[in-house]
Amino acid sequence: MSAVPGTSPGTAAGTAGVSADGVPVVSVFVRLKLSLLRNGLRQSARRRAAYIASVTLVLVFAALQLVGLIALRGNAHAASVAVLLLAVLALGWAVMPLFFPSGDETLDPTRLVMLPLRPRPLVRALLVASLVGIGPLFTLCVLVGSVIAVAYGAAAYAVAVVAVPLGLLVCVALARAVAAVNIRLLTSRKGRDLAVLSGLVIAVGAQMVNFGAQRLGSAGLGELDPAAEVLGWVPPASVIGAVDAVSEGSYGVGVARLALSGLALAGLLSLWSRHLTRLMTSPDGSTLQAATAGSRDRTRSAGLGRFLPAGRTGTIMERSLRYVWRDPKTKAAWVTSLAIGLIVPVFNALQGTGSIYFACFAAGMLGVLMYNQFGQDTSAFWMVAMTISSPRDAFVELRGRALALLVITLPYATFVTVLTTAMLGDWPALPEVLGLSFALLGAMLATGAWSSARFPYSIPQEGYKNVAPGQAGLAWISIFGGMIAAALLCVPVIALTIWLNATADGDDWSWLLLPLGAAYGAGVALLGLRLAAPRTAARLPEILSAVSKG
Amino acid sequence: MGTAAVRVRGLWKRFGQQVAVAGIDLELPAGRFIGLVGPNGAGKTTTLSMVTGLLRPDQGTVEVVGHDVWRDPVEVKARIGVLPEGLRLFERLSGRELLAYTGRLRGLPGSEVDKRATQLLDVLDLAGAQHKLVVDYSTGMRKKIGLASALLHNPEVLFLDEPFEGVDPVSAQTIRGVLERYTASGATVVFSSHVMELVESLCDWVAVMAAGRIRAHGPLAEVRGESPSLQQAFLELVGAHGRDTGSDLDWLGGGAR
Repeated sequence: MSAVPGTSPGTAAGTAGVSADGVPVVSVFVRLKLSLLRNGLRQSARRRAAYIASVTLVLVFAALQLVGLIALRGNAHAASVAVLLLAVLALGWAVMPLFFPSGDETLDPTRLVMLPLRPRPLVRALLVASLVGIGPLFTLCVLVGSVIAVAYGAAAYAVAVVAVPLGLLVCVALARAVAAVNIRLLTSRKGRDLAVLSGLVIAVGAQMVNFGAQRLGSAGLGELDPAAEVLGWVPPASVIGAVDAVSEGSYGVGVARLALSGLALAGLLSLWSRHLTRLMTSPDGSTLQAATAGSRDRTRSAGLGRFLPAGRTGTIMERSLRYVWRDPKTKAAWVTSLAIGLIVPVFNALQGTGSIYFACFAAGMLGVLMYNQFGQDTSAFWMVAMTISSPRDAFVELRGRALALLVITLPYATFVTVLTTAMLGDWPALPEVLGLSFALLGAMLATGAWSSARFPYSIPQEGYKNVAPGQAGLAWISIFGGMIAAALLCVPVIALTIWLNATADGDDWSWLLLPLGAAYGAGVALLGLRLAAPRTAARLPEILSAVSKG
Repeated sequence: MGTAAVRVRGLWKRFGQQVAVAGIDLELPAGRFIGLVGPNGAGKTTTLSMVTGLLRPDQGTVEVVGHDVWRDPVEVKARIGVLPEGLRLFERLSGRELLAYTGRLRGLPGSEVDKRATQLLDVLDLAGAQHKLVVDYSTGMRKKIGLASALLHNPEVLFLDEPFEGVDPVSAQTIRGVLERYTASGATVVFSSHVMELVESLCDWVAVMAAGRIRAHGPLAEVRGESPSLQQAFLELVGAHGRDTGSDLDWLGGGAR
């Protein structure tokens, strides 16, 4: 247990005894937090390097936004930017504990259950302790920068003296309250499943922010004003709203906004305190709950089997499709592929920089899902291995997985292509782009099946990593080699497309690319499965040991 | 007893510098309840993995009911059931879905799979949890659902790696009952364990393994010999006897400090 290696039993016992007056408890928790941090860093040089790198990054980022906010001073929309920035940051504080439940060990009150602590001093101590860290430091920088950007006059600065600590406390209390309310969820299996999806939320969120920033760049900061008008009243962004209002002379509005944040802090603290008390005085019912909740976890896709072919193929497809929904890692991979496959062509089309050929991106992204099929099974692959005794069995296994993939990818790639075409209005090009998409999808399935057999690697079930330590090279060979091979396999169709576009009356014949591309894709996929099957059947023990490292 | 259920010749496996299995020759009789015993790290799991075709040996041959595991997988895989240790199941399926999946993958007709699954779930006391995902099962429930999927296609030989590890007494008794009924009908069970009392009470034939080699094998009474218990015989066989703690910990007793 690496839980509390830094605090000697002696100090812990001593402070528990004098917790009544509250003051020593605060210092104990701050020291606990610091020693946890120190011991965590002492464990390995890599962790130390990662921590220093992230601190440096955050500091640089904090400094940059500080400079940016100071530069905004005098801009008509400065207050809007500052208010929105704080609102987004607060949102981050609210969702952080849901996605990184194990990020802060002092955040988990269940570890303190055995100590004789009273709620009030405990809440105070935990609140102060949670002000120690990179997150609060960054938030402080944002708050200070925002104040510099919007404050004019002595009264505004006077308000800011209250506003900055108040905003920071609301952010921290928000995170703590969310964590305390959801602690049962977070320590359960469902919570850990949720954590696996966090990387994905960040990736998609980054795309959205990127898109939003581009929109702002072209449309101007004025776009923000209506949203900021509302958020200026919502804690903790209302603390900046208050400074802004006081700068403009509306003292009443300023005080009201400040009071709102104060009320929010009081509300969050009482919510947190109540949940903390309940958590620490009632038995942990998480396992009990899971036992009774089981009956509700009924088979969602009971009707799924009816639409699938009978026998082994249908069985494999059904299992694969269930895993898309139920296995957090598989789900994360699917949602990433579906989202990026849609976002890239559609956003490019929206910005007017798009080409209709970007629609092939969807087929490419979804084809990646065929890679490392057996790695997705983890060591449960032994159950499959026990039922494969000939290349024919392996072929049926791989074909079932490819078909399950196609059930979703074929309509989706078609949908993305039609949508992109509609946005660009280039309907005559639709058949050839669809043909290209299908050819690419087929080629990705073929290379995916082959590299699943040849370059399998483990996918760790916990955390965000998709490759087990030591197998990153294997994963790179598998995916990038495969993608290049898939692109090469598509060369005949690509060449035909270029040739038809280049020749004078080629456009009359470009519709031919749809059936040709589809047939080519199907043929290549089938050939790939045929080549992969004997390799799979011959390498079952090797594949099993490669995928069992996670 | 006619043919051997399992015949192993010159089986070797090395992991880097470490020799996990150092040349095993073994013949396991059919229709018996066979225990493969040995301390942790003796090579039991490695041996069972190689015998069931989940791990490729460096050297040696394995025959199960007369068929070579590596040259004739079609014949072997249809005849064996396996419950490995330390490998996952498809845990995002419910117990019933897992059985439906395994049975159909084994090529059994759907209606037959569902009938057998219902009976197995009943007997193994899993009927109440059949719609719960296996990932939410306890250790004992996992072992039981693993056993059910190993038995579903009615194999001739059943290989179980530490089937009682971490299992509560009630589940252990259930598993025991099912296994005893299964061997009574003439099938063979090979299971590994490091709990001697368990092996002694269940098995009629044992093989003792230590440091990658077979130290003794044969009917239980023969292996036990003059010793009062299998535990004693085992300790003598692996040479761990006489390592009594003696007077080293004479202060230990919970009295005065």
